[in-house]
Amino acid sequence: MSELSALPHRGHLLDARLHLLDRQLLDHEDDPVGIVDDLELSGIEVDTDINPGAEAPQVTGLLSGQVLATRIFGGVPPRSHLQEIPWSVVACVAVVVKLKPTDVTIEVEWVERWLRDRIIKHIPGGRHAAE
Amino acid sequence: MQLSRLLGLQVIDAGSHPVGTVVDIRLTIASDPEENPPTPRVVGLVISPRTKSSFLGYERSGATAPAMLAAIARWRHRGTFLAAWEDVARIGSEQVKLRSGYTRYSAVLASAD
Repeated sequence: MSELSALPHRGHLLDARLHLLDRQLLDHEDDPVGIVDDLELSGIEVDTDINPGAEAPQVTGLLSGQVLATRIFGGVPPRSHLQEIPWSVVACVAVVVKLKPTDVTIEVEWVERWLRDRIIKHIPGGRHAAE
Repeated sequence: MQLSRLLGLQVIDAGSHPVGTVVDIRLTIASDPEENPPTPRVVGLVISPRTKSSFLGYERSGATAPAMLAAIARWRHRGTFLAAWEDVARIGSEQVKLRSGYTRYSAVLASAD
């Protein structure tokens, strides 16, 4: 592997799976709002020849949602189970991915809220769990 | 297209010979990723001839320690290379086809050393 030459490039390199997938998403107040479960790539037409010199695809958004079943049983979660967070609201990519203040409502934690409101709070002491 | 639909696809060359599996997508960001990064652009595909997964990126760094772990990772992922996006001829639902005369670039991330 090391005897191969490096691909000339500009900018900072990162690998999608290595540096983005499964990273925690934090909102602008550093509160966790989800996990990066997938990425949306633009500019790829499946089963269509790519013209030489065609523009390279871009990452247009982060996808986050309910992926527990596919993590356990395999496969790819249906697109309808994932919420797209536009790349334009990404503030920082590091150990975690931080988002800018945005009007986009991130609804990926509804299962956690449902569990909290329907089950956890009925357990003695559960109303104070967050404290 | 979702990234997950691209990962794991078999890669073939122009003569339809299998060359490996897409294990990752290499991206470039024009400025500092930690300060309002602009939209990442695909640079190429990381292709492994022997595995369908990555070992936490170990094989893409210059890490040599612990020696045994590094040796196992190097052996397991030997032959992993980066194909430039310009060398990708077609993305199919089952396979990725590379252009004739494609170049194998090093999959090592320079910044990961």
